[in-house]
Amino acid sequence: MNKRYFSLIAVAGLLLTLTQCDKNPPENPFKAPYPETSLDAQAGQWKTYMDITLFLGSVPAPAATNSAEYANELDLVRAAMSGATAEERDLAIWWGSNGVLRWHEIAREMACNYNVLPDYNADGTYPNPDPSNPSSYPRLPVATPPVTARMMGLLAVAQYDALVACWEIKFQHNRLAPYKNAPDIEALIPTNDLPSYPSEDAVIAAASREILQYIFPGEVSNIAAKAEEHKQSRLWAGANVPSDLSAGDSLGRAIAKNVIENWAKKDKMNQSNNQAGLPAQRDEAVTKGFVTQWNSLEIPARPALLPAFGFVKTWNCDFATLETIRPPAPPPPGSPAFQTAMDELLKISKNRTREQQRITTYWSDGVGTPTPPGHWNRRASDLIYDNQWNEIRAARAMALTCTAMMDAGVACWEAKYYYMYPRPTEMDRNLTTGTGIPNFPAYASGHSTFSAAAAEVLSYLFPSNEPSLRAWAQEAADSRVYGGIHYRYDSEEGLKHGANIGQYAVFRGLTDGSY
Amino acid sequence: MRHFYTLFMFALANMAFAQSPSDGLMMPKGQLCVLGQYTNSTWDHYWEGTRKRDNLNLGNVSTHSALLMANYGITRKLNVLVGLPYIWTSSDVSYITGQKNFQDLSLFVKYQVLEVPVGNGQFKVQATGGLSRPVSNYTPDLMPFSIGLHTQTASLLAIVHYISQPGLYVTAQAGHTWKGNTTLDHFGYLFDSKFIASDIMPVPNMLDYSARLGYIKPRVQAEVWYDSFTGLSGDDIRYNEAPQASNKMRASQVGIFGKYFILKRLGILASFSQVLSGRNVGQSQTWTVGATYFFNVNE
Repeated sequence: MNKRYFSLIAVAGLLLTLTQCDKNPPENPFKAPYPETSLDAQAGQWKTYMDITLFLGSVPAPAATNSAEYANELDLVRAAMSGATAEERDLAIWWGSNGVLRWHEIAREMACNYNVLPDYNADGTYPNPDPSNPSSYPRLPVATPPVTARMMGLLAVAQYDALVACWEIKFQHNRLAPYKNAPDIEALIPTNDLPSYPSEDAVIAAASREILQYIFPGEVSNIAAKAEEHKQSRLWAGANVPSDLSAGDSLGRAIAKNVIENWAKKDKMNQSNNQAGLPAQRDEAVTKGFVTQWNSLEIPARPALLPAFGFVKTWNCDFATLETIRPPAPPPPGSPAFQTAMDELLKISKNRTREQQRITTYWSDGVGTPTPPGHWNRRASDLIYDNQWNEIRAARAMALTCTAMMDAGVACWEAKYYYMYPRPTEMDRNLTTGTGIPNFPAYASGHSTFSAAAAEVLSYLFPSNEPSLRAWAQEAADSRVYGGIHYRYDSEEGLKHGANIGQYAVFRGLTDGSY
Repeated sequence: MRHFYTLFMFALANMAFAQSPSDGLMMPKGQLCVLGQYTNSTWDHYWEGTRKRDNLNLGNVSTHSALLMANYGITRKLNVLVGLPYIWTSSDVSYITGQKNFQDLSLFVKYQVLEVPVGNGQFKVQATGGLSRPVSNYTPDLMPFSIGLHTQTASLLAIVHYISQPGLYVTAQAGHTWKGNTTLDHFGYLFDSKFIASDIMPVPNMLDYSARLGYIKPRVQAEVWYDSFTGLSGDDIRYNEAPQASNKMRASQVGIFGKYFILKRLGILASFSQVLSGRNVGQSQTWTVGATYFFNVNE
């Protein structure tokens, strides 16, 4: 009797101890900082997106390394380093593995968290985010693919332009890092001979802070804290003195504010959700012969996503150019070509294989994810990291890729609302899908356009990766057909369209002076 | 939204089937019982975290299951049970293709630790250990239409049971299930508000308990029950988003069950239950019908 009670208690005890186990998701992989041996002394001459001339004279000359002022700053660095906690030293290493990429990582996570569609009201309408209350649901902004593509373009351009200015000024003054001027300072991250005034990290932090605070008004204090942490991390690392950081911060801030005031606030994004203009767009499509039109499949019907995003300002080519590369008219619903495409989707839908479902989900990048632009942003980041590019090369790569994707989004949305093409499930109710149906017209596929544009630019930047980049873009395009939410020609034309748009960014890359 | 496997354990626990992993009954030595059972579990309201809501784009979401289960008495004190369901999901409104496949194979060993006469009845204590694993490559990544979370599990239950001579009984049970990680089809997901750069998603371990009150005679059994499970970790479904395998799920339900032997060896059974409260689950209404047949293996 006692033995049995004992074994019962033992079982209960075992149960209790084991229930205390914590179940956390896997840690994000550790990314070690890498040495940045190429200094790119000429990068200050690279072509920028905005005019930065005004800002080149805005940074005061630094104190000489043999000055008392500088000696004092070195002491501040020594104090920061010796006072740094273990967590702060970890942060110094975290921020040390390419500040450009780290801010894109932060931006992707933020986009992920904000990529959520408003839930319907009791009366069947949908609420819009309230700018005066950006943190209450639905939060501002709704980070859909167009919104995320625009955010990433602005972020990458601000970082790049600011870093070009930074590089120009660095090599004017040639004041090296504290670890070069004081033999007792042992940096926590790889060292080099890059002049450290102004600090490229402070420039990146400030530029990123300005752009992200503009896009995510509900995250202003979180973003500010991250930027401070980034700058501080350079002291803990022994890589900058305080004046490097303050000069970099004011330079990055000024250039990013310029991007916001003279580009973002004038790019017509604030008119992109012009629901009142949609009836006229529909009438226009009817006069062109596109009479069978897309309608929302959501219950209750949800307003079309950003019907005027197609008129937002693009980076690498103008609207007149975009009109010339718009995909050709799709097959009219009911035509033989339409039916062939429909039959393919019905066949897949009846017997979607496990692999087709996996590919559909892998590339769906819907709500709660960083969207297709975010997916390719991560691919670009990984390639830059694997190739150990320095901050300015990283910023150039991200700017070329992200501006191409922004332009792709604009061009794609312009075509979508030009043709107003209905989704497959609107045309045949026997069709079921492997993923959610986006709330905007079908032709052409956004996934295909974004992916092909990114693959075009990344293939130029990383030629040895071209085969896999092209294969990924193809798979992303196929995924929409496997999912039953796009006709085959939506994806085929989207891939061509995206590649054309990507070429404009490639041309910029070939002619921006970076050789 | 439901973790179907857990609700399956529920259904198993509250058996529409005598001599189950979590009831107080044991199979006699040398007897084999085979059960075939259909289950339909449907919800139109669910808890998004703690916010109860419906979703007109999902409508009524149903999970159907056809289960085959066998229970063999190695001895009067040691039973072994094995079961495999075929599960399919559907919605009356959604465009998403319902999923269907064989789900997870379960194996249980139930041991009667103690049996003592008390008053005019018997007081019994039992322990059940269980293992399960998926038998097909179904996707866990299309919730709420996925047929399961595609993890391996191990469980341990303790049961106390009192049956009086006239046939009234009361049973209490508590159990713990350990769950492995699951592998998603997509790469990268939010857990709370942090972006996890992986396709491996942790699935919370579960604690469950139940209480039953019933009446059993050779030919008939009737029972009312209450049970509850809770995830021991995990995040909430985010505002207007889909559930995911890492969610902390919780549900409490009540149900009734009846079994009647139409022949000496052939019984028919049915049950009905309703989820009363929950977190990150659907407010399901579940009914089952089944038949059970007893063989004397040593005849």
